[in-house]
Amino acid sequence: MTMSRAKKSLLIWLGLLPVFAITLFPFLVMLLTAIKPKEEVFERSWVPSRIAFENFTAMWTQTGFGRALLNSLYVSTLATILAILIAIPAGYALSRYRFIGRSSSRRFLLVTQMLSPIVLVLGIFRLLVIFGVLNDVNVVAVLYAGFNIAFSVWMLESYFSTIPRDLEEAAWMEGASRLKTLVKVFLPLALPAIAVTALFTFVNSWNEFVIALTMLRREGDFTLPIQILSIVSGRYAVEWHLVMAAAFCATLPVAVAFAWMQKFMLRGLTAGAVK
Amino acid sequence: MSARLGFNPYLLMLPGLLISGLVILWPLGQLFVLSISEVNRFGQILGPDGIDNYARVLSDPLLYQSLWRTVVWTVGIVGGTFVLALPIAMALSQDFIGRGLARLLVMLPWAISLAMLAIVGRWALNGESGTLNMILSDVGIIDENIAWLGQSGTAFPMQIILGIIATLPFTTTVLIGGLSSIPTDIYEVARIEGASWFATFRRLTLPLLRPFINIAIVLNTIYVFNSFPIIWATTQGGPANSTDILVTYLYKLAFRFGRVGEAAVLSLVMFALLLIFTLFYVRLAMRKDEQ
Repeated sequence: MTMSRAKKSLLIWLGLLPVFAITLFPFLVMLLTAIKPKEEVFERSWVPSRIAFENFTAMWTQTGFGRALLNSLYVSTLATILAILIAIPAGYALSRYRFIGRSSSRRFLLVTQMLSPIVLVLGIFRLLVIFGVLNDVNVVAVLYAGFNIAFSVWMLESYFSTIPRDLEEAAWMEGASRLKTLVKVFLPLALPAIAVTALFTFVNSWNEFVIALTMLRREGDFTLPIQILSIVSGRYAVEWHLVMAAAFCATLPVAVAFAWMQKFMLRGLTAGAVK
Repeated sequence: MSARLGFNPYLLMLPGLLISGLVILWPLGQLFVLSISEVNRFGQILGPDGIDNYARVLSDPLLYQSLWRTVVWTVGIVGGTFVLALPIAMALSQDFIGRGLARLLVMLPWAISLAMLAIVGRWALNGESGTLNMILSDVGIIDENIAWLGQSGTAFPMQIILGIIATLPFTTTVLIGGLSSIPTDIYEVARIEGASWFATFRRLTLPLLRPFINIAIVLNTIYVFNSFPIIWATTQGGPANSTDILVTYLYKLAFRFGRVGEAAVLSLVMFALLLIFTLFYVRLAMRKDEQ
């Protein structure tokens, strides 16, 4: 009655084929369109006559990709650094201290994690107008950090709590200060979790849409999603091969990062909730 | 021990609580002020307005249409995703050759930003040489090209499908995590007792998976209810508001129609709804946490 492992594997793969067809569909559409020569884009053919590498260079020069890429890199990096620098002490406090208000702080963070920027976007917009900081990529980075703090703290706390205290205590015994122990003993142990948390924050910022759409209104400040949307909307003839090349290049680094992070996903997105 | 601690936990927590509070509470205060003021289309406050904005929002027929569509949108995506994700997660929890790769292939859409997915959808669903038209006419299902996003009858279902593609990876991951937490020996016992596959599924798998299912559904409900990019980047709620959900309608009120006061009211209403969902989630999450 029991099937061989090979036969079972084959059956499962066959059963999952329709699923892969759906999950890979967006990637295939991007890639197949991106490598089509310009004149074949609107033709009804699946396979291009040749691979049009020139689309990628044309995309770079014609769609403002380079500048948007720099903006995205800048905003996401700044947001990540801020979020991590603020989340490490908070995560450390939650995992190492028992203090009054600990549980309500965690609850507060959990609530803030759930609030999407969309319901606040009008209020944020108004504040930025009042302070005259609309179109400021630094402000957008601070906003991204703010929206990613809760998640980062949860994630770091859940990992910090798995690090045994013995090592730190041993260091204190030898007379190391709390700060020195933190920097020399604790943080190196927590490095994998910090890296994954940073990557999550980075990807969230990289992909963020509504804040960037609302707060960055000059073309020179656009991040990648906004730049790519702007070359699709409001144009009579959209050059889809360039758009798809741009979308592909904006997505590829994230896909690679996700492939690497796959096993940390569960811990991250339901941090604290599912154990 | 605390004598040697050298750090104050409150000081350590302060920057984090401050910045996440600032980013949320300050705009919230602004929204409240706007909601009870007469505001012109440039966002300047002209004077107090009492509850007029609230009354205007509540008497707007487009609000109720968007609200209804939000319900369809949320239930459609959350429900559709769950129905797909459960069998997928069960398959991916089996021990088989190439499981790591299979899991990766299911997770991949997670990497695409919603805006990018919507733009791909816009191209793949276009009325001339869109990929979907190509597939369907190659298979012989349709004779004429369909502008999927150009008419309300097809645009909204397509947006829901895009939403399901985007939600599937997360849901599957949570369910895989849940399935891996079920000890395998109870299945051995069930098999020795002669329980059928279906009975095992209904009496063992589902109840033990329950907490994970709850969390996946509550989290998805929150995310999907709020999800703005897919609809905005495909149709902007059009044609003629026929694909508007609350968030896109809110955005239009604020940044297109110049009805800033009403947009503030709607933001606050949505904030309240979200808070209810979230408190529900916090209860689920904290209950697990305390165990």
